[in-house]
Amino acid sequence: MLSIISLSIFGIVNLFLGFLKSRRILLPATLLFLIVALILNSMDWNQQALYFGDMLRVNNVFVNFAGIVLITALLIVGISRHFGNDEEHTHPAEYYAILLFSVTGALMMIGFENLIMLFVGVEVLSVAMYVLTGTDKRNIRSNEAALKYFLMGSFATGLLLFGVAMVYGATGSFKLGGIASYVQMASMYGAVSPLLYVGLLFLFIGMLFKVSAAPFHFWTPDVYEGAPTIFTAFMSTVVKTAGFAAFYKIASTAFAGVYGFWAQSLAVMAVLTLLIGNITAAYQGSFKRMMAYSSISHAGYLLLAVVAKVPSSQSAILFYSLSYSLATVAAFGVLMAVSESRQFEGRGDDRYEAFNGLAKTNPLLAFVLTVSMLSLAGIPLTAGFWGKFFIFSAAVQANLTSLLVIAVLMSCVGIYYYFRVIIAMYLKPAEGEGISVSAGFTLTLVLTTVLTLLLGVFPDVVKNIF
Amino acid sequence: MNLAILIPLLPFLGFLINGLGFRRIPKAAVGLIGTGAVLGSFAIVLSLFSGFTGTAQVVPVYDWFTVGDFNVSFGFQIDQLSLLMMLIITGIGSLIHLYSIGYMHHDEGFGKFFAFLNLFVFFMLLLVMGSNYLVMFIGWEGVGLCSYLLIGFWNKNPEYGYAARKAFVMNRIGDLGFLIGIFLIVARFGSLEFASVFPAAAQLQTGDAGLFWITFCLFIGAMGKSAQIPLYTWLPDAMAGPTPVSALIHAATMVTAGIYMIVRSNVLYTLAPETLHIIGWVALATALLAASIGLFQNDIKKVLAYSTVSQLGYMFMGLGMGAYTSGFFHVMTHAFFKALLFLGAGSVIHAMSDEQDIRYMGGLRKKLPITFTTFLLGTIAISGIPPFAGFFSKDEILAHVYEHSPLMWGLAVFGSMMTAFYMFRLLFLTFFGEFRGTHEQEHHLHESPLTMTLPLMVLAVLSVIGGFFNVPEILGGTAKLEQFLDPIYQYARQANPEAFAGVHLDHSTEFMLMGVSVAGAVISIIAAWVIYISRKSVPAPDEQVSGLQQVIYRKYYIDELYDAVFVKPIQALSRFFYSVVDKGGIDRFGVEGVGRFVKGLANEFRLLQTGATGFYVLMMVTGIAVILVYSLRSLIFG
Repeated sequence: MLSIISLSIFGIVNLFLGFLKSRRILLPATLLFLIVALILNSMDWNQQALYFGDMLRVNNVFVNFAGIVLITALLIVGISRHFGNDEEHTHPAEYYAILLFSVTGALMMIGFENLIMLFVGVEVLSVAMYVLTGTDKRNIRSNEAALKYFLMGSFATGLLLFGVAMVYGATGSFKLGGIASYVQMASMYGAVSPLLYVGLLFLFIGMLFKVSAAPFHFWTPDVYEGAPTIFTAFMSTVVKTAGFAAFYKIASTAFAGVYGFWAQSLAVMAVLTLLIGNITAAYQGSFKRMMAYSSISHAGYLLLAVVAKVPSSQSAILFYSLSYSLATVAAFGVLMAVSESRQFEGRGDDRYEAFNGLAKTNPLLAFVLTVSMLSLAGIPLTAGFWGKFFIFSAAVQANLTSLLVIAVLMSCVGIYYYFRVIIAMYLKPAEGEGISVSAGFTLTLVLTTVLTLLLGVFPDVVKNIF
Repeated sequence: MNLAILIPLLPFLGFLINGLGFRRIPKAAVGLIGTGAVLGSFAIVLSLFSGFTGTAQVVPVYDWFTVGDFNVSFGFQIDQLSLLMMLIITGIGSLIHLYSIGYMHHDEGFGKFFAFLNLFVFFMLLLVMGSNYLVMFIGWEGVGLCSYLLIGFWNKNPEYGYAARKAFVMNRIGDLGFLIGIFLIVARFGSLEFASVFPAAAQLQTGDAGLFWITFCLFIGAMGKSAQIPLYTWLPDAMAGPTPVSALIHAATMVTAGIYMIVRSNVLYTLAPETLHIIGWVALATALLAASIGLFQNDIKKVLAYSTVSQLGYMFMGLGMGAYTSGFFHVMTHAFFKALLFLGAGSVIHAMSDEQDIRYMGGLRKKLPITFTTFLLGTIAISGIPPFAGFFSKDEILAHVYEHSPLMWGLAVFGSMMTAFYMFRLLFLTFFGEFRGTHEQEHHLHESPLTMTLPLMVLAVLSVIGGFFNVPEILGGTAKLEQFLDPIYQYARQANPEAFAGVHLDHSTEFMLMGVSVAGAVISIIAAWVIYISRKSVPAPDEQVSGLQQVIYRKYYIDELYDAVFVKPIQALSRFFYSVVDKGGIDRFGVEGVGRFVKGLANEFRLLQTGATGFYVLMMVTGIAVILVYSLRSLIFG
């Protein structure tokens, strides 16, 4: 809980640091803040407690999810570097501050015990993301993306709020416990209010929008592509982790009693998400856009665990989020380095061709990206393999055989587009010169690779914590 | 942390350092790191050994993964058997590393060589230290990989590449058997841990059908790794690798993995007498076949290679009789003298400027005194002359064979006579008589440096005294090794006490058996002396060999047979599948068809992404409407 308070304060401190002449202190300061938050977070281990008038619950699940979000944020800050080139139009202090605020929002979404808190968390996170999407002010794509994100995001927020109101109308409570006991009683006597069903659906749709599941994914490719890569990385990791933490919590606690009602629709959406994400990704010419569709497809795998709703779903979601975040940060990190140094049609080149021959010019970056792609594709000895493995075994426990078959088939399609970049790096001749990157940047990327491989070889070490 | 973890870790670190930095690290440091790593492991093994209390211990490293109730842990088993194997691997391993510093000195791949060698030691240690069949299998596959890499170490020569490939493929066939055996064990016992499989197996009846298949499949694995009929032809070809590799991997350690595995699984085998029976006959056939081929080979390393195959046959013969300790004892003594012989051969090849054909050697004993003396000791040891190491171990096996079947004993003694003959033939042709090489080679002749001769001397001492570790009671010994290894047969004894009743031969028979085998060896040596020293005959050039000798010299045309029966038909079949089934059918309609379908679909999906926000919202609203109607259909339509 201290982690939430401290992050809010650190965000404000960051804004003040912006008044300093030298901007060099910002990056280390933000890193330090996040590390402090991580330490404070780990101090909550085995401390069961409710805070803020029972609106927030801190337990080990909170610590785990918050830990993943904080580590991901740390890694992303670790690869953030090029805010400062264009002195006039960039405001790194504000970016870092907003980043910290959005992490606060993510933690609120993870720990909420009351639908009001969920809504506040979602908004804190979303508004921050709208702003960050548009930070590349001179770039028309960035502006377009921000506006699109904002318009559609507001729409989804409206639905979410609508759903909260209707659930309140049906149950008379905002609290997870209160809703759960209503649902339990009502479904026992077969007298569930239709209002609850509609409210539940709207609530779910609002959450599905945030995690970019089909058919509410339309914003994802455009926004991911338009946003500055560093914030795309943030969106596809932190937002997704927090979104699924919240989604699973609400589905498995408040609405567990009407599982039969929502499971089927959600299963259909999971299939749709897997199909659209994977198949469209296969057609993209831009690596960045492929990553956007790939993030949709990963939402599909995670939805599988939600649909399964067995006790092991939670640890499966945790493990998957962690492995996915690590690999995604690495992929976007390498993409940043590559597209900044190689231009195409007047802007950073994010096509597959930009990676041609990277293994010759920058073997380390190529290796990092290879491991990341292998992990995303779910190849053994990487974390991604075990992530998929745990999700699939949760689905097996819930007897979701047909869903599982589709998921496995789709992960085969995944290999096609993830390996395209590996082929480009290792088999195509090099174009252009080597890319020079800073030591801190390299260190962060190597760290993600090492963690991915370690989790791939010693999955039980982390799995036992979850 | 337990010290045991460091044992495999040190060679692995050595591999990482030399493997990642072999272009930058100077040669002296490479050799020091590589040898030091293995020597460090050896020191730890020694300390573990001296502090060993006699109770087996499992050192858990970490829980690997859990699937349902099936848990696989990564752990090390420290007991009598694994300790002895570790001593052999790290002890002989360090000597051979040291030797390689001198032997590989001029090679440009010096660093790479040491990296691979360290990696091999790492995997070999995993193989013998693993506390379950899966860790053993990792080691098993790992040593196969290193063997492949090192056989093809001089990969500029395509012949060597083929040899490496052959070794790999043959081992894969065996590995498949091993793997199926592992699956059967999981299916039967629900675990792979030695600590839970063996006690459970001890409850079973002798002759259990499931156990037969388990043990048989495991033995197929052993056939591949330990070069038994029909999977032995890779080992002679494996001599393409640098000589230290032949000594370490293809004589002293890796090829004995199959024997280790069977001794480790002694409970299973004791309860499957049919498998033991099969092993016994396969082993005898291998021993005889390989020994007879060895009679007429002219390549110094090929002779030793066939001799290795044949000696492995003797070890398996011991196992087939249920005399696990005897088989394992021969593993130990063989490791000493065969490593010595290979290293000696390496020293000769080194001195002869890479000449390997014994027809062009001769008279080397004056130029290479240390190599000669040590080689001589090794030759006596392998021929089974008392009191050298080979005598004790081979004789023990022969005694067990006699108890089992005098016919097999007779054949086995015949095999050991051939051994003595071809080994002394090799010795006489190489070190005695006149020099038959070119003038230039003669000019270059020199004794090897100390890094190479020191290991020779140490191994020579071990070859002489190695037999005393297990002197049988009849010769006034106490059978130390037998007593030491006794605890690992605990479950087997419990399950089938009769199998461990011991040799029931009376002393006079035993003395008679020893007398016959020693006399046979001496006769062979005299015959070799007469032919190659007194008559000074030298094997004829390849084209003049004919008749039966030609058949044997060409290794009974087994390679050609395999080629005609397996390789050619499979190639034809694979061409058929490639051009007709794959290209015409699967590719056209399956793979590419699916690809086209996905691409077409993707194109449709892609077009949905118009970029217009209004359209997106429309789609979302449509989606919401569909979901609402679908989910609430019972409410709406009653």
